[in-house]
Amino acid sequence: MFSQPQQPDPDRELVARAREGDTRAFDALILKYGDKLYGLVYNMTSHKEDTHDLLQEIFARAYQSLGKFRGQSTFYTWIYQIAVNLTLNFLKKRKRRSGISLQDPDSSVKDDPALVDTGHASNPEQQSHLNQLQLKLNEAMRKLSDSHRTVVTLFDIQGMPHGEIAKVLKVSEGTVRSRLHYAHLQLQSFLQEWWDQRF
Amino acid sequence: MKPSVEQIGNLLALKREERPEEGYWQDFLCEFHQRQREAAVKRWTPAGVWQRTTAWFGELGSTKWLYGAGLGYATIMAAFLLIPRPADVEQAPVVPVKHQVVPAPAPPVEQLDELDLGPTTQGSVGEQVF
Repeated sequence: MFSQPQQPDPDRELVARAREGDTRAFDALILKYGDKLYGLVYNMTSHKEDTHDLLQEIFARAYQSLGKFRGQSTFYTWIYQIAVNLTLNFLKKRKRRSGISLQDPDSSVKDDPALVDTGHASNPEQQSHLNQLQLKLNEAMRKLSDSHRTVVTLFDIQGMPHGEIAKVLKVSEGTVRSRLHYAHLQLQSFLQEWWDQRF
Repeated sequence: MKPSVEQIGNLLALKREERPEEGYWQDFLCEFHQRQREAAVKRWTPAGVWQRTTAWFGELGSTKWLYGAGLGYATIMAAFLLIPRPADVEQAPVVPVKHQVVPAPAPPVEQLDELDLGPTTQGSVGEQVF
């Protein structure tokens, strides 16, 4: 799924066509990476409307900047860089603007179908337990700093390898590992009390 | 007891299935194209040009100071070269003022016409009776 640097960009042709003004080629890129980017932005903002607006901005920025895309990274890494930067800027502004933090998530997060593990649908008790676990996990995620939540989202939720995350965030791989380690420790700590009661 | 990192990872992995509702991307594309059309129209209005200029300048990062300094220098130099200095203003040749006043021809005294110079009022030669 994630391209290695030496591999040719699988989106090169679509990007070239989009750069020449072929809107259908860019639509294809949106449809190809839309779900992944939706997951990234939604897990970082915990707000559906903000996610939608940010995605519009991310793809608009990418479309307008296609001329600047030199192909030094894959299109996938490049658009992830745009998405992460815009989302982190948005989170900073949101906190500054009204004091709203991720402690005030979208109410729909609680009912999100993604929190429901269909594998346990036949066992209501287990499903309910899992839902509670996910809610606690969401709370714990919101307590992380933006930079730590970013690496957790990219690594644990999106399944991106350390090297790719380092490229997206423009930091060293060691920094990614360090942030991830610290974030996992924090998540363990946040969940410990609730985990003790349950197990 | 803490959950292990692996357990946390497994829980987080469930969130990979997070996807928008069906039909979301079709609406998304319609809105995207609509916004692009609006942006294209707005791009060439004065406000749009200003917005793009400031956005471009904002994206420059630390090099913007270099560009800013260059732009400032160019502006000053352009002002220096283009604005005429007072010494350069071509002076008109000095024309000496003529002080010789040429009197205008005196208008005929109208009162003279009213004077009765007829023989009845005329006295002897060289004598006038008032």
